[in-house]
Amino acid sequence: MRQVKLNTHISGKFNIELENLRNSVLTMGGEVEQQMVDTLKAIKDNNAGLAEKVVLNDLKINSMEVQIDEECMRIIAKRHPTASDLRLVLTIAKATTDIERIGDEIERIAKLVTKNNLPASDAIKSSMLTIGEHVVAMMRGTFNAFARQDQKAALDVYEQDNRIDRQYKNLLSYTTQEMQQHPELMEDWLEVLWALRSLERVGDRCKNICEYVVYLAGGSDVRHASFENMQQKIEGLV
Amino acid sequence: MLNLFERDKLDLQQLSPEHTAINVDHLDLWFNNKQVLEDVCMRIPKNQITALIGQSGCGKSTLISSFNRMNDLIDGCRYKGSIEIDGRDINHPRENVARLRARVGMVFQRPNPFPMSIYDNVCYGLKLQGMSLRRALDDAVEQALRDAALWDEVKDRLFDSANILSGGQQQRLVFARALALQPEILLLDEPTSALDPLTTLYIEELMISLKKRCTVVIVTHNMQQAARVSDYTAFIHQGRLIEYADSDSLFTMPIKKQTEDYITGRYG
Repeated sequence: MRQVKLNTHISGKFNIELENLRNSVLTMGGEVEQQMVDTLKAIKDNNAGLAEKVVLNDLKINSMEVQIDEECMRIIAKRHPTASDLRLVLTIAKATTDIERIGDEIERIAKLVTKNNLPASDAIKSSMLTIGEHVVAMMRGTFNAFARQDQKAALDVYEQDNRIDRQYKNLLSYTTQEMQQHPELMEDWLEVLWALRSLERVGDRCKNICEYVVYLAGGSDVRHASFENMQQKIEGLV
Repeated sequence: MLNLFERDKLDLQQLSPEHTAINVDHLDLWFNNKQVLEDVCMRIPKNQITALIGQSGCGKSTLISSFNRMNDLIDGCRYKGSIEIDGRDINHPRENVARLRARVGMVFQRPNPFPMSIYDNVCYGLKLQGMSLRRALDDAVEQALRDAALWDEVKDRLFDSANILSGGQQQRLVFARALALQPEILLLDEPTSALDPLTTLYIEELMISLKKRCTVVIVTHNMQQAARVSDYTAFIHQGRLIEYADSDSLFTMPIKKQTEDYITGRYG
């Protein structure tokens, strides 16, 4: 399957519109990635000011989603995109929703710091940061795969979510034990659990975007397919 | 309600004879020394709308015109291969061309009503076929005008000149003239390119309603139109059939790069 080449339309203005749309998503992706990096730093340093900045910055992410959606709608209405152009616009519209939701999850994690609800256990905090780093790597890989329309890279990133899921489950059982030992702190622990869940959800959102990248670059709809089935579709075996 | 989960698509490669309206087999066509069509093979399904798209001069109008032997009128036209309708080679020397053109009607880009009344325009072909009973002609004219969604607009002035009708009405009158002969196949060569967008939509609705009773083949430069109305689309480039598929697939996931470049407005 051919990559979507944005600069080969007869209409130079259409080339620019699609290029701007693609760049806007990458900018939005870069913003949420930085939000996650800042959140992890805020957790590590217990820096409430930085966490507050992350929470406020989520408004910017929300506004980007609305602007990108409007541009997608305008292009569909005025340009009637078909084939790879249509896939690009649809992919961007769907990916933008996931990126905005990633922003919401990050905001929830950052609020752990602003509400002074960080886990009392250093072991849990450290594990949380480790998962966070893996999530950042996954986000970076996702946006790179999108920028390069690289199906194989998307598949590699997709698989990384398994590691995050495993780490999340381990941490969940450890945290539950801690909760049982300190039931008086139940409310704080629930906040921690929600934040852990948010971290794990960011991985799932990245997986969704990877599926869209496969659709964009190869035309195969791999949503709800098994990993093996995705592999086969990418290799053109199915 | 549109059922998104049950969409039938015919396998165009394995189309059975009873589902095939036109079978084009290895068709080559030349005008003098210039080859215009090259090894075209396609089966056009019955009671469906098939669109032919491609750049100007690619051969799509030549192809559609060969389905009712309109190319016979052009000097220096010769061909190789066959075009079969209902299993009969239409280019066979003993084929009755007048009868063929009654079975395979055609509507052109510009409305071409004859300089006579609306009524006479519609029953012109029927009279040529020998129908003379006034009552039968009246019924046929009314039915054809109703089929062409023109009856309500002209029923009170059937004997006025067709030339006073608007462009959209004239084009629907031409449809009515073709439909009066109850064709099995209707060929449309850019039938809406001279019409405004609203009239175009009326004509498109007409095409869709015609599917029940005949096979429609349309040549169009308007890709949105092909995507809107056709069930199947063939992309032709420099006389060759590049891709032929159901329109949903062709406009969302074309297989050939040339098709992709054309429908997305890219230079190849």
